[in-house]
Amino acid sequence: MVRLSPVRRATIQRIAFTLLLLLSVLMIAVSKTDQMVLASLRISVMDAAAPTLEILSRPAGLLGSVMRQGSDFFAAYRENARLAKENSELLQWQQTALSLASENAQLRELLKLTPEPAGSYVTARVIANSGGTDVRSLIVSAGREHGVARGQAAITGEGLVGRVTEVGNRAARVLLITDLNSRVPVTVAGSHLRAVLMGNNSERPNLRNAEAGATIKIGDRIVTLGQGGVFPPGLPVGVVTGFDDGLPQVEPYAELSGVGYLRLVDYGLGEALPNPPAPGPRNGKRPDRALSQAIHR
Amino acid sequence: MAKLLPVATMVFAMLLSIEPVPIAGYAAVAPAFTLMAAYHWTVYRPDLLSPLMLFAIGTLQDLLTGELPGVTALLLLLAYAIVVTHRSRFVSPPFPFVWTGFTLLIWGAMLLSWILHSLLAAELLDLRSSIFRAVLTISGFPIATFLLGRIQRALMTRRG
Repeated sequence: MVRLSPVRRATIQRIAFTLLLLLSVLMIAVSKTDQMVLASLRISVMDAAAPTLEILSRPAGLLGSVMRQGSDFFAAYRENARLAKENSELLQWQQTALSLASENAQLRELLKLTPEPAGSYVTARVIANSGGTDVRSLIVSAGREHGVARGQAAITGEGLVGRVTEVGNRAARVLLITDLNSRVPVTVAGSHLRAVLMGNNSERPNLRNAEAGATIKIGDRIVTLGQGGVFPPGLPVGVVTGFDDGLPQVEPYAELSGVGYLRLVDYGLGEALPNPPAPGPRNGKRPDRALSQAIHR
Repeated sequence: MAKLLPVATMVFAMLLSIEPVPIAGYAAVAPAFTLMAAYHWTVYRPDLLSPLMLFAIGTLQDLLTGELPGVTALLLLLAYAIVVTHRSRFVSPPFPFVWTGFTLLIWGAMLLSWILHSLLAAELLDLRSSIFRAVLTISGFPIATFLLGRIQRALMTRRG
């Protein structure tokens, strides 16, 4: 190593510092304009870091399940009562769904309708959360190898969480619906109204670009509209809870932070939905096979 | 070997800041661990930090979080520059002074980030979660600096 005098070294440090500062500013400017190079760089870094992130995120996952078990334990009695009530309601819905499914099948037959493309799921664990910055996105531990593709919807049991924006071999980035750059075509359930759900970096995204004369009320259920054959329609998104500057605000059904696992919806490739597990006998009530058969005709 | 400590702790802080903590609402207000570590080392051992290291770690964090690459690098470099120029006046700064400096730094970083993102999005963004995050970062600094100081003393005083 060449020994430099302290003055020389300080000057070089200063020059290096200025250069790097300028480089940072340049990168910010370029990244806003040239997205392609940036995207492939991000994907490479994500793929490279994925195994490390996977290992590092396990303690958090463990903590999450311990916390859940803890709260489940303490709430066991109350939860049991709630579940019993929910079970009896669901059994009624099961009957309704059965009759609707058979009526649906008959009407389709009558109209000679082509069957809708079915979808399948890829379940992936969340290994990084952009937490704390002005970006709301997650990295999940499933990539091209597992069938993940750009544009796929990411959901939890409650509703839509986000959308896949970048896919590597081993990992993928999901942009949450609350992020500033997130735009999801949606509709009010049961209507033909089209709107766009736009994130604004707060917990309640806005509905914009609704057709003129559209009446959106508090309590309206928002579902996805579907787009480009990759994004399925009818996924629950949230409910309108208020207005901000005249724009409807939507409270998402899904809990967007603290997410441990996501399902990425592989839609429109003609593969059958996996059969849901047949409900086991509970309190002597027999599982209803007719329902699952009716759905997966 | 001990010279790698600042880098190691900063990389750890960076990975910690993207950890998916299973607490609802955490992500929006997670403290800026990387800035905490960078500030600590800039105040107590600036000779062990280099602009290149700060740039690299900042850029890596941006690439992993999906932030515009350069934002965190810029913040780290500016923080380094500001602290180093003012630090030379003091031989051994007392902690309240260090903490006040950190507070000012975090507010400045938050504002800068907010202005930058608002400009790029062409609209005024919501400041609430940023403010909350700034408060958490400032409150968390004493613990962070205590831990880092302990590690520093344990691993570095043997060599002086």
